[in-house]
Amino acid sequence: MEIELIQSTALKAIENCDSLEELESIRIEYLSKKGKVQEMMLKMKDLPKEEKPKFGQVVNECKQQITKALEEKSAKLEALKLNKQLEEERIDISLDAYTPHLGTVHPLNLVVQAIEDCFIGMGYKVAEGPEVELDYYNFEKANIPKNHPSRDMQDSLFIDVNTLLRTHTTAIQMRELEKAHGQMPIKLVCPGKVYRRDDDDATHSHQFMQCEGLVVGENITLTDLKGTLQFMVDSLFGEGKKIRFRPSYFPFTEPSVEVDMTCHVCGGKGCPTCKGTGFIEILGSGMVHPQVLDINGIDSKKYSGFAFGIGIERVAMLKYGIKDIRDLYTNDVRFLRSFKRFD
Amino acid sequence: MNLSLNWLNQFVNLDGLEKEEIIDRIIKAGFEVESVNELGSGTNLVVGKVIECHDHPDSDHLHVTKVDIGNEILDIVCGAPNCREGLKVIVAKVGAKLVGGEIKKSTIRGVESNGMLCSLLELNVPKEILDDDSPSLNGIEELDDNFEVGEEGILKKLGYEDTILELSIYANRPDCLAMFSLAKEMAAILNRPCILPELKNYNNEGIDTSFILHSETDNCPHFLAKVVNHVTLKKSPKWMRDILRSNGIKSINNIVDISNLVMLETGQPMHFYDLRSNPHHEITVKDDLEVDYIALDGNTYHIEKGDLMITSNGEPIGIAGIMGGDNTKILDDTSAIIIECALFEQAQIRRTANRLGLQTEAAMRYAKGLDPLAQQKAIDRAMSLLIEYAEASEYEKTVEFGSDNYNEIVVKETLEHLNALIGKKYEMDEVRDILNRLDFHPEIKDDSFISHIPSYRTDIRIREDIDEEIIRLSGYDDLATTLPLMPQTIGKLTVRQSMRRTIEDLLTNAGLYETITYTLVGSQAVRDNLMPLGDAIELKQPLSDARKYIRTSLMPSMLECLAYNIAHNNENVNLFEISSIYAKDMQEERLAIILSGKLQESKVLHNTVDTNFYVLKGLIMSLLDKLGFPTGRIQIVENNVDASNMHPYQSALIKLNNKVIGIFGKVHPQIAKERKLPDAYYLEMSLEQLIESKPAKIKASEINRYPSISRDISLVVKDDVKSSDLIRIIERAGGSLVSSVEVFDIYKGEHIKDGYMSISLNIIYESKDKTLKIEDINPVHEKILSELSKQYQANLRQ
Repeated sequence: MEIELIQSTALKAIENCDSLEELESIRIEYLSKKGKVQEMMLKMKDLPKEEKPKFGQVVNECKQQITKALEEKSAKLEALKLNKQLEEERIDISLDAYTPHLGTVHPLNLVVQAIEDCFIGMGYKVAEGPEVELDYYNFEKANIPKNHPSRDMQDSLFIDVNTLLRTHTTAIQMRELEKAHGQMPIKLVCPGKVYRRDDDDATHSHQFMQCEGLVVGENITLTDLKGTLQFMVDSLFGEGKKIRFRPSYFPFTEPSVEVDMTCHVCGGKGCPTCKGTGFIEILGSGMVHPQVLDINGIDSKKYSGFAFGIGIERVAMLKYGIKDIRDLYTNDVRFLRSFKRFD
Repeated sequence: MNLSLNWLNQFVNLDGLEKEEIIDRIIKAGFEVESVNELGSGTNLVVGKVIECHDHPDSDHLHVTKVDIGNEILDIVCGAPNCREGLKVIVAKVGAKLVGGEIKKSTIRGVESNGMLCSLLELNVPKEILDDDSPSLNGIEELDDNFEVGEEGILKKLGYEDTILELSIYANRPDCLAMFSLAKEMAAILNRPCILPELKNYNNEGIDTSFILHSETDNCPHFLAKVVNHVTLKKSPKWMRDILRSNGIKSINNIVDISNLVMLETGQPMHFYDLRSNPHHEITVKDDLEVDYIALDGNTYHIEKGDLMITSNGEPIGIAGIMGGDNTKILDDTSAIIIECALFEQAQIRRTANRLGLQTEAAMRYAKGLDPLAQQKAIDRAMSLLIEYAEASEYEKTVEFGSDNYNEIVVKETLEHLNALIGKKYEMDEVRDILNRLDFHPEIKDDSFISHIPSYRTDIRIREDIDEEIIRLSGYDDLATTLPLMPQTIGKLTVRQSMRRTIEDLLTNAGLYETITYTLVGSQAVRDNLMPLGDAIELKQPLSDARKYIRTSLMPSMLECLAYNIAHNNENVNLFEISSIYAKDMQEERLAIILSGKLQESKVLHNTVDTNFYVLKGLIMSLLDKLGFPTGRIQIVENNVDASNMHPYQSALIKLNNKVIGIFGKVHPQIAKERKLPDAYYLEMSLEQLIESKPAKIKASEINRYPSISRDISLVVKDDVKSSDLIRIIERAGGSLVSSVEVFDIYKGEHIKDGYMSISLNIIYESKDKTLKIEDINPVHEKILSELSKQYQANLRQ
């Protein structure tokens, strides 16, 4: 029968076809309005009435078979085509073609921010003050009168008899004590740049940064200072570091202590960084000298307080293994780009 | 201060204390031990006797010896010229560890050697302390008959074994610069008794005196002098020389050495004059001289008014408290002396010593402060030493000017306050014990205790000082950790502080590095300044010319940073800094940005963001927007303030509230050329206005549900027309229907007349109430075009 021949020829053609374009032309050849299957349909009208249903059924069957074969083949060819396209789109994933360039916050500011955040969490405020400071706040109010030997300890850069570049952030504390007008409690940290008459070398810089802290209120004890500093050390260097106090001297605190922390490099076993002692010196602190409270109009019989001061460069150098303090002020981008986060 | 443990042992019995323990306790009590120096060291040393000594067959100077060390006889090759039979020597046996290394069995030119015969120099004894005729200087040490063959502990017996601790002393503890009070301190720390030499008062001892002593200045309130008409000048005993040497002081003769030793013991500097150089038997302290004066060291020093000078008959004889004079010093034939023992005001001595650059032991001690009773202690101690070691005789009664003005200090404290401050629970017994160790002679009554402060403890004045002594000696190790118990307070950053953080966030995310540069700059940096704050503040005594002024602008520092990076082959240098600058009576916090090279780059993708005026401007505008100052509140206007640092046609001013807050643009090519910089773009902006002004409120904007219509127009206008002016006209003419206007192309060249440009803009029309139809916007669009044409002769490009 002719129709069977058409069907088998069509199915064969579909089977052998290997492109979507060819498949389309096969569809047109057989299934379009002028296609071979349609031609057969047209022949139906010449058939005797009783044969028509049967013939119609056969032609429809043929149409369905071809349609089905076309669809299946089409799906197969589409899949092949897509696979080919995907393969062609293969790229070298090892290539770094675009790296969004991110800058960094200066390592000293990273340390300052970490300290600020640690204390903000405990309800401290962050206080600041002028770098061009009065002798009055830098020395006099901090219990360092003229001719006091500890003025030698911090040889200063004076502008005139009464003005200098502040030698420590203690000057900020003194301003804040005055500003409090006796309102208690006082809880603050005060970071900032300070200046001394030092020649710049690997471990000295005429300009450097400090962050001091001050708490004044009722019943503040030396153990409160130790607890607070332990909290800060945990926050800056990670938990598990012990701190220890050693007696020291600062004119604005009494008692005064030097604070050491378990060496973060060796964990206390002893190494070159801690010179074999297992501890490294990190800051100075003490109980606020009663005279400092009294000068600032705070009754030292009623209130007590503690203060501490940490060298920002020292923390940065310890944490990041920086060997030369000048690297922090040269601003070489090869140096700066390492400091992606506080860590 | 150097602390010799041998010396300390004379006052505080150190038996049974290991060196390490002593050091540990000293450190815990608040001293820093800068270094530990061992004097005289070596293991496996024993006394030997040379029983045979022959020349080495194969050498012109070596000896082959047999040495009896008691339990065996060793064959030792020795090169010392003084090696001979019968000599008692120090033998370092095989395995001995000396400073030069370990002694090993060896063969020296074919002869076996089992040890070494030693010179003291090989046992870490410095040459300076040996007598001039010591055999160790030219060979091996020769021991006398006090030593037995086989004996050990030779260095100790010879007095050449000591440990010297270099202590750093805090400014409040000048008493620790005097051995007598340092020994008291060490005794307190080590909890052992301290026995100091008894001092006899010599004030009224001796014959009557006619010596006249006077001070014309308040800066010398107390002066003791004593004439000794006979002394014998000779070499000091070894113990005295050892003490001086361990403190870095050279031994001269017994007289000078005694003055130095007494200074080390009591902290009181003294000076001895040759009596012959003072024929008028008179000393006056003056502070109104202006002379050039030759001091003991042979140098001439310029003395100014205020400097304290010792004079006799109006002529200077010494720089008070700092250095004696060349014309009055002790000579080899001195046989009579005047002892000077005075108190000079510490600040004045410090000033003079600093100015003259004469940091002598005496000046240092005066500058740090003395025990108020030191003058008396020193002169009495000196007298007893002069009598014992310099045959002092025919001395006169002590002459005194002024007085020591000493009153005993008494401090009261209570257990309650002590425990409240420290946060510990001390018992009275412990407190009493510590105060006794310190010689504070406590008087205890109920909860309170009264301390009688020894004269040398000038640092103890208030009860907190006592508290520190108690915890210092009881130890900080078991101190608990607590947190302050107080009302809750809110911790947060101020507007200024959080603004800094926002700027840091945005700019680092945009690819910029934050810098911190020096505040102090040189004179050129102050001269060529962008937007200087005011007149630069100059330091009184700058460190150097390059660090003489406080900067009034950040630009010089940023250019220097860029130049450094360029010189080190760093490309694409994009930096920012936030810093305060200062001028006379002024302070301002500023942000500086410098861009050069590329901001973002992908070579493979051929995709880069070059830095230029517009990139910098965009960065600034989005930063300001982020800080709450959107485009509408900021004006960018022509730069009419600075044409020397900035490119005159590629720079602009930033205005907020009609005030100029910043300037930005291309760095002037001339500036760049002088500093060997590539093209660079710079911003300097004050943060003060931004901090003071209210930022825009954050408010949600409703999303428009109706579609918008987009229209592009290309206009031909004169090429000096500003796009912002065109946009303003479009917005004004378009009214509420215009939701945005954006420039998307600027073209000059072919088809456009000279002096004109084509500028293409995209206008978005939008309504909040309905979907716009073409008919709705046509009249508005026509109005816009006619306004543009009327005001800027703008024609649609054909």
